[in-house]
Amino acid sequence: MRNSVRPVRRHILIAATLLLLLAATSSAQDWIRTGTGLGVERVRLAASDFKPSTADANNAPLLKTFNDVLWNDLDNAGIFDLVSKSFYQLQEPGQPSEVNFSAWSSPPPNASMLAFGNLGAAAGKVTVQGWLYDVKNEKSPQVLGKQYTDNATSDAVRVIAHRFADEIIFRLGGGIAGIAETKIYFVSKRTGSKEIWMMDYDGANQQQVTHLGTISLSPRISPDGSRLAFSSMTKSGWEIMMYSFDLNRMVAFQRFGGMNLSPSWSPEGKIAFSSSRNGYPNIYVVDASGGNSRRLTNDKGPDVAPTWNRKTGSQIAFVSGRTGLPQIYTMEADGTNLQRVTDQGYAVSPNWSPNGQFLTFSWMRKYGPGEPGSNDLYLMDVASKQWLQLTHDAGRNDFPCWSPDGRHIVFQSHRSGTDQIWTMLADGSNVKQLTFKGDNTQPNWSWK
Amino acid sequence: MAAITDFDMYDIDIYSEHGQLRRPLAWSLGLHVAFTAFVVLYAVFVNGIRGTGWGSGGGGDAMGATLVSSVPLPANPTETQNVLATESKGLSKSQPTVQEKEPEAIPIPDKNAKKVKPAPVKSATQRKAQPEPEESNQIPYGEGGPVSGPYTMTAGGAKGGFGFTGSGGDFGSRYAWYVQAVQRKVTENWLKYEVDPRITEGSRVYLTFDIGRDGHPSNIQVEQPSNVPSLNQSALRALQRIDTFGPLPQDYSGSKVSVEFWFDYKR
Repeated sequence: MRNSVRPVRRHILIAATLLLLLAATSSAQDWIRTGTGLGVERVRLAASDFKPSTADANNAPLLKTFNDVLWNDLDNAGIFDLVSKSFYQLQEPGQPSEVNFSAWSSPPPNASMLAFGNLGAAAGKVTVQGWLYDVKNEKSPQVLGKQYTDNATSDAVRVIAHRFADEIIFRLGGGIAGIAETKIYFVSKRTGSKEIWMMDYDGANQQQVTHLGTISLSPRISPDGSRLAFSSMTKSGWEIMMYSFDLNRMVAFQRFGGMNLSPSWSPEGKIAFSSSRNGYPNIYVVDASGGNSRRLTNDKGPDVAPTWNRKTGSQIAFVSGRTGLPQIYTMEADGTNLQRVTDQGYAVSPNWSPNGQFLTFSWMRKYGPGEPGSNDLYLMDVASKQWLQLTHDAGRNDFPCWSPDGRHIVFQSHRSGTDQIWTMLADGSNVKQLTFKGDNTQPNWSWK
Repeated sequence: MAAITDFDMYDIDIYSEHGQLRRPLAWSLGLHVAFTAFVVLYAVFVNGIRGTGWGSGGGGDAMGATLVSSVPLPANPTETQNVLATESKGLSKSQPTVQEKEPEAIPIPDKNAKKVKPAPVKSATQRKAQPEPEESNQIPYGEGGPVSGPYTMTAGGAKGGFGFTGSGGDFGSRYAWYVQAVQRKVTENWLKYEVDPRITEGSRVYLTFDIGRDGHPSNIQVEQPSNVPSLNQSALRALQRIDTFGPLPQDYSGSKVSVEFWFDYKR
């Protein structure tokens, strides 16, 4: 008996030991994998301050504006590792002949690329010359050389800096245009009523668009940037309204009756929105003039907040409460092939990425009594349904919207105590606040 | 009878003594093994947790890492911080975590590259004194002088690389920045979850394509397939997903460049 028990014990012991060892080795591999997972390097770019090329008194303030804007644009781009200015040489180049290659390309700056140039005001005009050099490559260093001339005003210099930054980003970012000249539209209550406002992508130049004195919500700019659709409270109820930037005034748009909310432009210029004209809020599509109305969903809903696949224009994601709490669904642009995307919680405000690959939305994954959930932003790969949480422990976050380069997301957050507009890189890093005054909500990024 | 009994007794005594020894011996062995396992486990878990992974940027779940790397963003800014501290330029190995991966994955690609490559035209880029692929793998971006092919990249345990053949000559050394942009873009668009999840390692797949003056990739072909069909597909789809790499450099005289890009997959 003893003899038969002993080998069994021994086997168990050995098996247990092996199991432990196995567990140890496999968990060790997991650690290594997560630690080394990501391998795409950023371009190490030095942006030297531009130098004055004339002896005009206006140069100093213009140079300050130019250098600040250029630096911020490059820093915001999300594809550069900007070399800190404390590593720069005392003699910064203003002309190609003044570039000391080895000083820039070796430590401490250790830059791969160098942006430099000069700015000079004369007789009310300003001329800017800018270069981008590959300082590791002395034989043919020039990647970019540009010259700009405009009026010698701070605004004009801002635009020049944006353009030069966009050129650099376009060259080094694989042909994706920079966003330095894009706009963000949003709802602001700073005048007392909720009106539509617009600003530059970096929060500068905030200006009021509508003056309707009622409640206006969900601004959506058309793909060509000429028209702005939004929903507004009128005497007859919530209707889709249209503002023209060509005419700088409101233009007439079809009234549908019922409650009409959350318009969304397709890449071809069609508009999807939620309408309850036939009873329940459902998704409808009309063309840019409001004609050819077509109903896409037909249920008790409510179905709201449609967003088009911005690359193909052949799919629509929207929010539906047909099973209780709101969830994200996708369907083809003709209403077929309905699929539920989120499986739990409370999911709203979908927005489709410019490359058609991702949805971003606001999601309270755990919702209900005893579930201290918070509205956080998520990114979902549409094909695989894998998702990634972008915001963590930072108040209520809602209304995410992609930038045209697909590298940034603008959103509304309550993390500062009031609702404000913020941006971040599409992986959730580099969060920046854009608005500070009044309540600002529901941002929408222009298409280009 | 008595004698026989005595012998029997004697025999039994010997055997039982053997038996008594064997048992403690087994226990001793078992306990030694268990103790060794404990030491190994302790070292792995405790040191593992406090050591390399502590505070590193990629601490999220594996799925998250996949997604982020496919967002068109160069991810994980923390990795580049070491570059600042580098005293000299050159093949400095500033990231120990990457070094650890070297032995298992790198040597194979080099051999394959030489075996498979006789067909493509030997251009200026390929005649250059080649830093071995494992070396160029270790160079943080921007170190080690002008880039010269063949190039390699790593992402999430998977690798790819490529050689450039431009009709205008040494494209790779003149426009290293463009080459890097292409490399980055393909990496961003390669979704590794498209590879069959049961596969842990596949042989290298070679793709060829042309980049026109407007930056549009065309003529995408599998030059040499991998033994994993889904890896071939994922590589093809990565390139099909790309609309443009950005226009070719303005002072480049050719009308297109041809690219050979390989993908190594290891989970």
